[in-house]
Amino acid sequence: MMIRGDSGYGPALPELHRRLRWVALLGIAAFALLVGRLWQLQIMRGDSYYERTVSNVVKERYLPSVRGKILDRKGAPLADNRPAFNIYATPNKLTPETKQELARMLGLSDDEIAKIDERLAVGRKRDPKAPVLVLEDQGRDRAALVEQARARLPGVEVMHEPYRYYPQGDLAAHLVGYMTQMTENEADKLGAQGYETSELVGRYGLESAWENYLRGKKGVERYAVDARGNRLDDKTAAALIQGDRVIDPVPGANLILTIDADLQRMAEKAVAHTAAAAVVVVEPKTGKIRAMVSKPSFDPNVMTGHLTQAEYTLLAQDPRKPFIDKAVRATYPPGSIFKFATALAALEDGQAAEDEPMFCTGEYVLNGTHFSCHGTHGKIDLIGAIQHSCDTYFWKLAERIGLDRIADVAREYGFGAPTQIGINGDSPGRIPTKAWYDANGHYRPGNATNAAIGQGDVEVTVLQMAMAYAALANGGTLYVPQVVERIESYDGRPIVTFQPKVEHQVKTPLDAVDTWKRGMFKVTNELGGTAYAHGHIEGLTVLGKTGTAEVKKHHREDHERDLEKWNPNSAHAWFAGFAPAEDPEIAIVVLVEHGGEGGAVAWPIAKQIIEGYFTKTHPLGTPIKDMPGIRRNR
Amino acid sequence: MKGITLPRATIGVSRWRRFRAAVDWPLILTMLAICAIGLLNLYSATRGVRHNAKFDKQVEWMIVGSIGFVVVTVIDYRAIIRLAWGFFGVAILLLIVARLTGGSGGGDVDTHGQTYRWLNIFGMGIQPSELVKLAVILLLARLFSSSEPSHYQGWWWSPASWGFKFSLLCLPIVMIAVQPDLGTAVLLFLIILTVGFLAMPSVWPMVYLLGGTLCTIPFLFEKLHGYQKDRILGFIDCGVAATKTCWHTQQSIYAVGSGKLLGKGFLSGTQNQFNFVPEHWTDFPYSVWAEEWGFAGSVFLLAIFAFLTLWILNVALSSRDRMGSVICVGVAAMTFWHVVVNVAMVLGIAPVVGVTLPFISYGGSSLVTFFLAMGLVANVSLRKHGY
Repeated sequence: MMIRGDSGYGPALPELHRRLRWVALLGIAAFALLVGRLWQLQIMRGDSYYERTVSNVVKERYLPSVRGKILDRKGAPLADNRPAFNIYATPNKLTPETKQELARMLGLSDDEIAKIDERLAVGRKRDPKAPVLVLEDQGRDRAALVEQARARLPGVEVMHEPYRYYPQGDLAAHLVGYMTQMTENEADKLGAQGYETSELVGRYGLESAWENYLRGKKGVERYAVDARGNRLDDKTAAALIQGDRVIDPVPGANLILTIDADLQRMAEKAVAHTAAAAVVVVEPKTGKIRAMVSKPSFDPNVMTGHLTQAEYTLLAQDPRKPFIDKAVRATYPPGSIFKFATALAALEDGQAAEDEPMFCTGEYVLNGTHFSCHGTHGKIDLIGAIQHSCDTYFWKLAERIGLDRIADVAREYGFGAPTQIGINGDSPGRIPTKAWYDANGHYRPGNATNAAIGQGDVEVTVLQMAMAYAALANGGTLYVPQVVERIESYDGRPIVTFQPKVEHQVKTPLDAVDTWKRGMFKVTNELGGTAYAHGHIEGLTVLGKTGTAEVKKHHREDHERDLEKWNPNSAHAWFAGFAPAEDPEIAIVVLVEHGGEGGAVAWPIAKQIIEGYFTKTHPLGTPIKDMPGIRRNR
Repeated sequence: MKGITLPRATIGVSRWRRFRAAVDWPLILTMLAICAIGLLNLYSATRGVRHNAKFDKQVEWMIVGSIGFVVVTVIDYRAIIRLAWGFFGVAILLLIVARLTGGSGGGDVDTHGQTYRWLNIFGMGIQPSELVKLAVILLLARLFSSSEPSHYQGWWWSPASWGFKFSLLCLPIVMIAVQPDLGTAVLLFLIILTVGFLAMPSVWPMVYLLGGTLCTIPFLFEKLHGYQKDRILGFIDCGVAATKTCWHTQQSIYAVGSGKLLGKGFLSGTQNQFNFVPEHWTDFPYSVWAEEWGFAGSVFLLAIFAFLTLWILNVALSSRDRMGSVICVGVAAMTFWHVVVNVAMVLGIAPVVGVTLPFISYGGSSLVTFFLAMGLVANVSLRKHGY
């Protein structure tokens, strides 16, 4: 058979010839499309895609910085770091079986498993290849278990990381503060510096106020990965990464405080028997805080990351409000220790004299209102009025000089304005004036009567009172309270040393202050003084003033109370003073919240702290009898 | 073969020298050049990964393909065309066997779910759908060349039979589409359509076929597997279906784009070397090439493919008979669409479908199929002067 065909001559497929131009058109269109797309991708957008491929490969990892320590003036650590074992899991590597194995091996509680699941879910959403902290600060035994079983636990790692820790427990807890996990806002702000939401930030006290210094700066490590996220070896990485591979982290700076941990411990021990109290010990010559106590307290170790909801609720519901710093934030009516303002105002104006006698019948009537003094003091001069804490005398002085003069002097000594200590939201307190009363109702002369003895609407903080008494002690310099002595870098190089900062010089004449001091001497050193009856210090002259500040009744019946030893109907017990008299080294203010009578309750505490200071923690270690200016009681 | 008259234009020259003169060297050289580029690219694509064996395997397949090429070239294509129905039947049978026995020869069960595109023969996974393309081209050649002689009478040769014939041709398309292997199905359809356009006396039947198919697309789309829908939606907008495939395409675009004008250099493509484009040796070798050789290399490779297609069309035009022409048109269409669809997919202007890049993609079935297809062209070319 002969296969018929076109025998190779002429078009074998005429249709193809006819439609060749369509073929050409289609072919050219198709290739033009592809070449055009190549041009677009490689020439027009090439640079940006190149960047993208580099960022595919080159990843950045933040290197944690070690947080700075908080040390007392002698270098004893109040906040430190210790190695902690943190367990991390990588979401896309961790199978449910591995998780079960982990739970079984460590005997995890349901709570812990729920926490792990929650954190894994968050991590998976963000970056499933990045390890997530699932169990923080685990014990050595748990860490060892996981380390041993690493082969059976793919995707689980144990990391040794520094963890915040407060070696002194709840010592100076309000001052030092604690850390908690970031809020959304903080995470947004710090996210750019490489901080993760799970990390802790200072939340209270110095930890919060000095966060920026303590935190340090995270380092950056750049490394290369393949598509599965596996790290490439260093040689390959070096070829891909331009610039520094590692930028070292900068550890946080250390804070060296003016606080003396030993004195602080003594002060806390002295108020241990009270339900709620505050103590401030300040150096009058510099305004440096040597001890600052707020009770009830908390353990910052527990607050930092370990606090359960139940524990938090318990603390938050405590009627004594443990989270409010009672030295800095809480305000109280000062009672009789505020009388110095009335006395100094009257003396300054020439409206009073040290030896001017007045008569106390135990009752004082102003415009038909009856005020009763806590005793019937009879004929008494100003010094005696201070010694016995006679209210009538000061009421009469107030009648002479008026409310605004008292307020002037109080403001002169720092009341009514924040102390600028810079932590825990220091309150301004309140020093009422006529204008204030008119703005909040109506001024009555009785308002001045109340203010004269630190009652009514006068509200002060314990720290304000301490700074005011320090100013009385040092001859009239009102300091800004200082808690941070200096800042050092992690390796001990000084960064900043803070000098004492003077708020202003008070204008009160020195002889007026001396009159007040003579009164204070009698309070603590002579029979009949409100403090003397409750003990005095042999061999050291303490000048002091007690106060018993009445409070508005919280309960209808006096025997009702929220806690044992804490009856909110009771008066606040105050003591303010300084020692030694001739050249004061410390000024001290003690407040026992709803503690009762100042002389009976607050003074013994102050006495214990002063004795402790001069016998044990005095910077020179000098025994009392050798101290200059010590006058033995004869 | 009795009765075949061969023009004796080269009397006096030895048989070997006449054969050598008649062999289509440009075709063979172009093919070898592309193979060389393919091997170079595969070496880079699989270097350092746990796929080292792929390079050796590809070389083995090339040897097998070359033998196939020679065999197909030597046997007269008219003899082969006589068996076109037989090949077609065998191809359909293989598809059925793959459906019944098959599993996934490839490692992509997790992305594709259960598929039936692989056939296990002597321990080698082969994809019958690749061979189906050849069978379809041969059958097309047979059908179109047979329409010419006037003595063929009866319904079978009447224009009315075309509907039936096309239904037969579309049978493998449907079978492949349900494997599911959308890419090969679409490609088969494109081949049939192209050959129909260029070889039928009237283009209208093809226009109807195309129009009809386009009308059924919305219905077909609803029948697609989830992952196939995602691929198509993901191609349209990554936000709609942020799938693995979408990421795949994105990474491929980054790879191509980052090559810029001259590329990152051989073995230096980070997208490729660190596996950001998964399975880049099978469906995305062009992204490897474009990343390492840049715009210049990418256009160069496209130009070689354009030349190959044009050369095959040239053979079609110079073929001594209609049958040879249609074979060449079929092979040209297959090459052209493979290149266009694959490159478009790599460049992110077509959905990700499993269409290989001729001679460059890793994989025995595709490679051998193209060697055999080129063998058919060489065959036609060899006999154009009546050798």
